[in-house]
Amino acid sequence: MKSKIAFGVWEAVTIMVILFCTQVFLDFPRTMVENAGNAGWILVIYVTIIVLLLFAIMSKLYSRFEGMDILDISEYLAGNVGRIIAGMVFLVYFVFILSVVLREYAENVKTVSLPTTPIVYIMCFFAISMIVGAYAGIEALVRTSAVSVPVIIVAYISILLGVSQYFDITNLFPILGTGAKDIFINGIPKISFFSAISVLFFIAPFVKTYKNFKSVGYISIIIAGIGLTLSSLVYMLVFPYPASLENVLPLYTLARLINYGRFFQRIETIFVVIWDTVAMLYLSTVLFLTVYVFKKTFKLVYYKPLIIPFTLIIVTVSLIPQSYMSVVELENRYFRRIIWTVSFAFITLIMLAAILFKKRRKRRS
Amino acid sequence: MGKGSFRIFCLVLISALMLIMFTGCFDRREVDDLAYVIAIGLDKGKTNFLKMTLQIAVPLAVGSGNEGGGGNGNKSVILTTIETPSIFSGLNMANNYLSKEINLSHAKVVVFSEELAREGIQKYINALKRFREVRGNTYIVVSRGSAEEYLRSIKPLLEVNPAKFFEMNLSSYRYTSFTAGSKLLDFQLQQTSSGSQPVVTLASTGKFESSDEFNLEGSTYKEKDRSIPLEGDFMAGNIPRVGDLKSEIMGIAVFDGAKMVGELDGGEVTYYLIVNGSFDNFYFTFADPLHEGDYILVSIYTGRPPLSKMNMVEDKPVIDLDIKLEGDIISIQSGENYEDINKLPILEKTVEEFMKKEMERFLYKTSREFKSDICGFGKQMKKKFIDWNEWEKFNWLSKYKDAEFNVNIDFKVRRPGLIVRSTPVYTSEGKVAPK
Repeated sequence: MKSKIAFGVWEAVTIMVILFCTQVFLDFPRTMVENAGNAGWILVIYVTIIVLLLFAIMSKLYSRFEGMDILDISEYLAGNVGRIIAGMVFLVYFVFILSVVLREYAENVKTVSLPTTPIVYIMCFFAISMIVGAYAGIEALVRTSAVSVPVIIVAYISILLGVSQYFDITNLFPILGTGAKDIFINGIPKISFFSAISVLFFIAPFVKTYKNFKSVGYISIIIAGIGLTLSSLVYMLVFPYPASLENVLPLYTLARLINYGRFFQRIETIFVVIWDTVAMLYLSTVLFLTVYVFKKTFKLVYYKPLIIPFTLIIVTVSLIPQSYMSVVELENRYFRRIIWTVSFAFITLIMLAAILFKKRRKRRS
Repeated sequence: MGKGSFRIFCLVLISALMLIMFTGCFDRREVDDLAYVIAIGLDKGKTNFLKMTLQIAVPLAVGSGNEGGGGNGNKSVILTTIETPSIFSGLNMANNYLSKEINLSHAKVVVFSEELAREGIQKYINALKRFREVRGNTYIVVSRGSAEEYLRSIKPLLEVNPAKFFEMNLSSYRYTSFTAGSKLLDFQLQQTSSGSQPVVTLASTGKFESSDEFNLEGSTYKEKDRSIPLEGDFMAGNIPRVGDLKSEIMGIAVFDGAKMVGELDGGEVTYYLIVNGSFDNFYFTFADPLHEGDYILVSIYTGRPPLSKMNMVEDKPVIDLDIKLEGDIISIQSGENYEDINKLPILEKTVEEFMKKEMERFLYKTSREFKSDICGFGKQMKKKFIDWNEWEKFNWLSKYKDAEFNVNIDFKVRRPGLIVRSTPVYTSEGKVAPK
């Protein structure tokens, strides 16, 4: 696919970092503690290394399909049927993750800021920003993220540094947390936390060259890995295991602790600002991708008329779980355990099959 | 601007305005409609589980600089006491008769009565930590006696703002070393820790009405084989002092999990803070080694963070503590020229020996008497374990009661204050050399 829209490596890196790191502002640090105890930060490093290795393999496979996205490759492999099957798989994935994340953000806003506001009312505001973002398109979204991400990083680092007075290095011991098996064997499916890697295979045509694609992948995984590791490490330095299992919103809880004298306190407001910025960028980008994938899967001409119907579907789906606890359960127990099969295995299989198909066709011709 | 672009512009504008204006509709709360609780006191109730006392700020009085708590006239706080089954049901009941809605987002302190603390305060801590208005840096205090009485005795004479009174009073441990900065978050983390136990600042109402009533009945100096008490040999409520301020803080309550198991006086808290390295500096008094009846006062601060080494010998923990302290001379009553480079080691050695003895007394008290690792040695011990299962099986807190301590204190005087040497006094009988 040749796209008229193009953006640079930095813009693409920032949007990928947003997609990877959204979880930091939800429950990521606590989830790591649930998986490996106080060694959750080691688990993040381990998972990042695995993802880098997997991306090395995936990008090598992708090198034969420069300028194509994963739907183009599916179409190349199996024609319209291939494209539609692949498109439907990703559509289900995007709608599901979008619904879950939307509900989580809305529930958390309700918990920390607007306790008496109905959840639907809060969701409406998220939905409006999603619609506006998706209408503006991917180019506007990546440019916005290119401007926002440096500010978000500075605010994020200030929160992490702000709680340094509470650091207790002994919280990191016993060094292997709940055990080596939990980190190195049970931890492997946690590569699902990088499931947004699949987005890279949709925006690949926008970054034009294979070299850019590779740079975006490596740089964004490394930056996200550092960001995710820091969040887990700082959380664990402040909250000892097993008390670290308790907090609904780890980063918000950390931000609430910042207190330097009588005048520099209650700075969690900074957190709320970056939290909402990240939410807006994430939700808008994934909504855009959802309608983009739908449009491309069914070869439609326009994607904009799909935005409002899809937003309604997503808001409705996100309201299905009974409670916040069931959303978290759904995400961590089921979604994060299996989604790597779509983001890593499925994409790799499509590319592998397409390469074999290409070779066979060459041989025949 | 085309018609399409104009419509998009209007849509974005309307959306942006909606986002700004309507977000807080449901949760709108006028500051003027809220009653800000500054302190919560919890006692055992007579007719119900809890007797809860709320100290609520009167913002207009705070703004106009009127007097604080227990006084008359336009008070900057009001107090109300209510019997209730739980904290939050009590707040609900109080909302019923107060004109404004109670809000805890500015609560500075939660006071538990000793009686309640000895029964265990886990359920109250769990309730508080879950509630979004309560912050982790809210102080926790145990009142020797009734929490209600303590809160009613508070009269922040030097502060117009009652919240500032608590903030400053309860953080004074950094320069007094007589209490600990016990906050809700610390308690929450330590009560769930398998390597350390919580402590809470002790508070009370002064027991003396006039200076004629002063006595040393409540002092701990006899337990320490001293002829007269030093400044830290008291717990809250027993300090021989009178004045307009009735409330006082001194010492800490020691907890095993969430149950109070004992008390430490102000002097013992000093050693607790030294082991934890959590103080700025404090004045330290000790007997002059060369002149009986005279005292030397030094200002002490940490040279380096304290080091502890842990070993298990025959299933008993052996803890080696290496503490490096520095100090400045504040006062030498005898006038002895300890500033002299040759005499300085005498002073330093005296401090080291005195502190070592007191430190060991304190540490054995925590292990043998209270069986509570308040200094968090278990957190160091944890480093020797590879994973959490092994550590939990080891069960450090059950082993701490048998711990042996080897304390090494290294004290160095760095500065003599504004006087570089003590000079003799001239009298009608001639020059009187230092004693």
